[in-house]
Amino acid sequence: MTLQTAPSRNASAETTVSVLASVMDVAAAEWLKLRTMRAAWVVWAGAAVSTLIGLIIIMGHVGSYDQATPGQQASFESADPAVAVMPLVAFFIGTLSALVMTTEFSTGSIAPSLVAVPQRRTLLAAKSVVVTCVALAGGVLFASLSQIGAMLILGDRPAPLNPWTHWWEAVPPAAGTAVTTLATGLVALGLGAVLRSAAATVAVIGALTLVVPMFAHVLPEPVHLWVASVLIPNLAPQIAGAESAYLLAPPVAAAVLAFYVVVTLGAASLSFSRRDS
Amino acid sequence: MIEVRELTKRYGPTLALDRLSFQAHPGRVTGFLGPNGAGKSTTLRVIVGLHGPTSGVALVNGRRYAEISRPLYEVGALLDAGAVHPGRTAFKQLACLARSHRIGTSRVKTLLEQVGLQDVAHKRIGGFSLGMRQRLGIAAALLGDPGVVLLDEPVNGLDAEGIHWVRGLMRTLASEGRTVLLSSHLMSEMALTVDHVLIIGRGRLIAESSMEDLAKRFRRDILVRSPMHVELGGVLRAAGMSVSSEPRGGLVVTGSDTATIGDLAAERRIPIHELTQRSATLEDVYLEMTDEAADYRAGGRRSL
Ligand SMILES: Nc1ncnc2c1ncn2[C@@H]1O[C@H](COP(=O)(O)OP(=O)(O)OP(=O)(O)O)[C@@H](O)[C@H]1O
Ligand SMILES: [Mg+2]
Repeated sequence: MTLQTAPSRNASAETTVSVLASVMDVAAAEWLKLRTMRAAWVVWAGAAVSTLIGLIIIMGHVGSYDQATPGQQASFESADPAVAVMPLVAFFIGTLSALVMTTEFSTGSIAPSLVAVPQRRTLLAAKSVVVTCVALAGGVLFASLSQIGAMLILGDRPAPLNPWTHWWEAVPPAAGTAVTTLATGLVALGLGAVLRSAAATVAVIGALTLVVPMFAHVLPEPVHLWVASVLIPNLAPQIAGAESAYLLAPPVAAAVLAFYVVVTLGAASLSFSRRDS
Repeated sequence: MIEVRELTKRYGPTLALDRLSFQAHPGRVTGFLGPNGAGKSTTLRVIVGLHGPTSGVALVNGRRYAEISRPLYEVGALLDAGAVHPGRTAFKQLACLARSHRIGTSRVKTLLEQVGLQDVAHKRIGGFSLGMRQRLGIAAALLGDPGVVLLDEPVNGLDAEGIHWVRGLMRTLASEGRTVLLSSHLMSEMALTVDHVLIIGRGRLIAESSMEDLAKRFRRDILVRSPMHVELGGVLRAAGMSVSSEPRGGLVVTGSDTATIGDLAAERRIPIHELTQRSATLEDVYLEMTDEAADYRAGGRRSL
């Protein structure tokens, strides 16, 4: 497709434009595919339910805070939805993103998809565009919902239970979790393209977002801290510059997160364009 | 125009295509014929770039498939009608493909009508029969009004009406100047549809011929019945034909044609009750030609 054939325009600029135009068309098709995939709606419901459950847990935590003695209250863990809610949400959005790829392999619909778009990097790019939009929107939505929910539950209870003294302090951590959720989505998409199996991809994403962070503390101390500092969910507070036990400065944390995405999408691009489908 | 040159494809130890070369030209239906496992589907998958060749090239209109931007306008392919998301409706399935090429939904609607799926357009594909999926796959192949159409076993699962429809469709597409390549393992199915036949076995091209030549080459003998068969036998032998008798007073003649035999009989006022040119059935021809090449034979013996 040529948008413009004026002689002054150089050829490479024109191809860039037409490649972009075609990525956007393919992304529109991918968006339609996602909307017509029923499993996707189940996963959204999962994310919503886990947000609700997270808030109920926070409610219970606040309840036991109210019954504790002032001495106990001073050592209460903070009721932070970034810890109680967002890892599960990220897991669900990761699952959704993985399905964008693995469903094509499990149903065989990858064949007609590639017949329509044989430029595999274009197809992968289009899927990445869709996952970026969906995972970021989902991240922002659920991060905001869970923060607002937590604020309503906490009322004017003080620190250390309440992680924020002013509402605007909640914005950077929410943004941090939205960004790590986005990264989880892209990592899941990349893994899906490499592994081609929903079960395997979801297992790896579950390990990355839930299981390893949960059990990292069995490691001996300095090692635990190093490992925990580079785990995807723990990068959220580090990117936000929030107070945390972890080691990385915000730009370093952001770079580590970007590294996850670049490595998995790079592997996806190689595997997807080299292997038979 | 499709051109395949020295195409080889290995799957691990299996040699699926073995230096296969052929061309399919515009304006005719080319039939790709071979027994199970011959490599028909593999060839089509390599042509549209789903599988990479081990060596050799497959070109569509002179280019590799992956070099074509918005290929649905040039090439339509039905490879495996079952390879669709079962939760999507027929309409949405086509709409997803169409959207990537900026093809409007009115075209999708028209095609669903053309393939006879208008009544189930908004039903989920999961509930479709094989024949309905096949129709949907054909609709998908025609979305971009392509000049090249590839169909892998398109009549699979279709009812009599459907088979008739596909045959007509193939003929129409070819008469409009398009390149049509369809595969099948049934010769009988090809006989009525195809202009040019490529017979492959074990990944190699065994024979290539126009349908007409193929039929001619395997013309066998002529059966003549007459109440005066003894006299007629004498006359025909005297004319240099080889004649043998058949039960029920028939004569089996080789080395001549029906016109000559009819004329000779008329000269001698010998009545003729039947005069039939007998050909080997195309099925026999095909079995004969692919026999050595068949991977799997009746009885389950596997030859290597
Ligand atoms: N994805 C694959 N992995 C491994 N082997 C394969 C693959 N696809 C095909 N083969 C092998 O390649 C050979 C050719 O298979 P192909 O499907 O092309 O045959 P076909 O001519 O289409 O047969 P049929 O009439 O049964 O459809 C077979 O031996 C098959 O086992
Ligand atoms: Mg086949």
